[in-house]
Amino acid sequence: MTPKMQMVPDDPHTSWAPDRAQKTGVAASVRGISKRFKKTPVLDDVSFDVAEGESLVLLGASGSGKTTILRIIAGLEQPDAGRVTLHGKDVTDLPARERGVGVIFQSYALFPRMTVEKNIAYGLKIRHRRRKERRETVNRLIELVQLEKHRKKYPWQLSGGQQQRVAIARTLAYKPQVLLFDEPFGALDAQTRVHLRREIRALLRQVKVPSVFITHDQEEALELGDRIAVLNDGHLEQIGTPDEVYNRPATEYVATFLGAANLLLGVVTRGSVEIGTARLPAEKETRRFRDGQSVKLVFRPEDVCLSPDATLPETCRRLANGVVEEVSFVGSYERLNVRLDLAHRPQSADLAPVYQVTINTPERMVGVPVMATRPKPEANVTRYKPGDRVAVGLTSFSLLPNYTLAKHR
Amino acid sequence: MAKISAIRHVRGYDVARPVSIGVLLGIMLPLVLLPLLSIFIYGTRHGLGVFWSSLTAPEAIFALKLSMVTSFWATVFNVLFGLMAAYVLSRYDFWGRNAVIVTISLPTAIPTAVAGFALLLLWGPYGTLGRLLNPQGAQVMFTPYAIILANIFVTFPLAFGVIKPVFDTMSRSLEEASATIGATRWQTFWHVTLPSLRGAIVSGALLTFARAVGEFGSTILVSGNLALRTQTAPLYIFAKFNEGQIEAANAIAIVLALLSFVIFSVLFFARDWLEFETQEA
Repeated sequence: MTPKMQMVPDDPHTSWAPDRAQKTGVAASVRGISKRFKKTPVLDDVSFDVAEGESLVLLGASGSGKTTILRIIAGLEQPDAGRVTLHGKDVTDLPARERGVGVIFQSYALFPRMTVEKNIAYGLKIRHRRRKERRETVNRLIELVQLEKHRKKYPWQLSGGQQQRVAIARTLAYKPQVLLFDEPFGALDAQTRVHLRREIRALLRQVKVPSVFITHDQEEALELGDRIAVLNDGHLEQIGTPDEVYNRPATEYVATFLGAANLLLGVVTRGSVEIGTARLPAEKETRRFRDGQSVKLVFRPEDVCLSPDATLPETCRRLANGVVEEVSFVGSYERLNVRLDLAHRPQSADLAPVYQVTINTPERMVGVPVMATRPKPEANVTRYKPGDRVAVGLTSFSLLPNYTLAKHR
Repeated sequence: MAKISAIRHVRGYDVARPVSIGVLLGIMLPLVLLPLLSIFIYGTRHGLGVFWSSLTAPEAIFALKLSMVTSFWATVFNVLFGLMAAYVLSRYDFWGRNAVIVTISLPTAIPTAVAGFALLLLWGPYGTLGRLLNPQGAQVMFTPYAIILANIFVTFPLAFGVIKPVFDTMSRSLEEASATIGATRWQTFWHVTLPSLRGAIVSGALLTFARAVGEFGSTILVSGNLALRTQTAPLYIFAKFNEGQIEAANAIAIVLALLSFVIFSVLFFARDWLEFETQEA
């Protein structure tokens, strides 16, 4: 039942993934998982696959059910419906100890009475492996996670990052089917987490074990995941590469949860989107909608381009004119709040497009606020101050159907 | 240490400090310190020779041994039971769970004489269970087994009371980690849970033992107080005192006092060593 250990000490890139009879390409598969606690539904028909060697991030707010999914894969929780398959084998009815998954708990859950070595050797010890084999595996793992100097220490003598590496090594010792990380950086300060997640990413590339992370931190998700699954209130909103979920969000929730997003309501009209008085040409994007359909226009602050005159860059599609309302520096970039003038009929297109809304006029109330960000170099070339009139364009955006009822997604 | 609103009178000299410490010791002196001290003073008054010969009298040695052995078995039983009860009651929720917890804790609140009397009613020659044993010629009361039963009864909740809170606060993720690594429940209990309980088990055992060694009220009812047969150390002190053999009583009293002193020193000073690993690092 437990995979056989094979020692190939010469190869520095030995896979710590289990040796498998058939390579299906799918390491873990979750099909139609539903779960309720008491009467509250926590998960509703969630399905996804984790490919061989892939790292998948389950991203969601607290209470979205992401921890429950992880515990169901690990066998620490039973689903009410649905199946869990690990490398082609249905494990839904197997207890946690027979599944061979590696869980890295948020608190690391290292055994406090055991040294680093003994923690790592635990999986082999309870499998009654020979002493020699245990020693060899532990030595190689300690080298892998670079804890040679700390092998005789107890968990409380280690830093958070070191404890985490012990926790990973402890699971790798028995060649886990899949690694499950429960909010792995939750307990660490901002600087350490950035450092650690790069370290873990590099380590996972080396050991080639498929992994599932859960996090509520979108930045972490974008950096750690080969793919990201966004969970909201117990159901899967979207699953895709970081590029897909960030740049082409499938739902409003995904758009707003992963980074900041501006949202405008519009109507599809002959290959463009009408937003109030503005017309945004969108030949390609509107193709899947019919004329007159109500849509949501979603774009990120960094996709907004501004110009003090009518000349927007070529990659930029003109949206409307606006007035700069607020300029603030947020560390590495500049953030601007701009009020779009969408309420008035624009003058004919060839006239000066810069419009005459000014601050302190009634129009200010009517203008639609959007957020834009600019990198420092750009901010240094053209400076804006509140009250400046600008032309506003978009480099990229996505359109979502606008259902009146939130339930109908 | 934090200063607790000390009233400073004469130029920063805190009068409250010596006064309050003095009052504290003054109260303790006649109530606790002097009685303890007098055991040692009277016991060694006639010289160490008398003390030693009183101590090595066959009856005295038997009484001490009997106390140790009966307390030992009561401790073994109550620690094992406490461990099991704590595991069950902190892991599972069931109907009547609170009633069980209260029942386990009840013996501390029952007067020991009542406990002894209750055991007599149940196991005595005419008791409900004792009647069943009698035809076979078996007899529980007035034997060392009765003393063990009485000790178990009066120290019943002590080990449980120490172990249960540790179980309650223990992080479940350690056991879950062990399970996902592939351990059976038994392996998890042996390698992960039990080591974390070491401190609580040692404390609980010492507490139970200390209490059992000193048990008098229930023992005198169920044992029959037969010298060289069912006379424990506290009963021996009582018997010798009644006979007017103060030296004999005093020698054993010193041994019991020293024993409890040692046990509580271990409990007090070894607490850090015993408890540090129960917290998750």
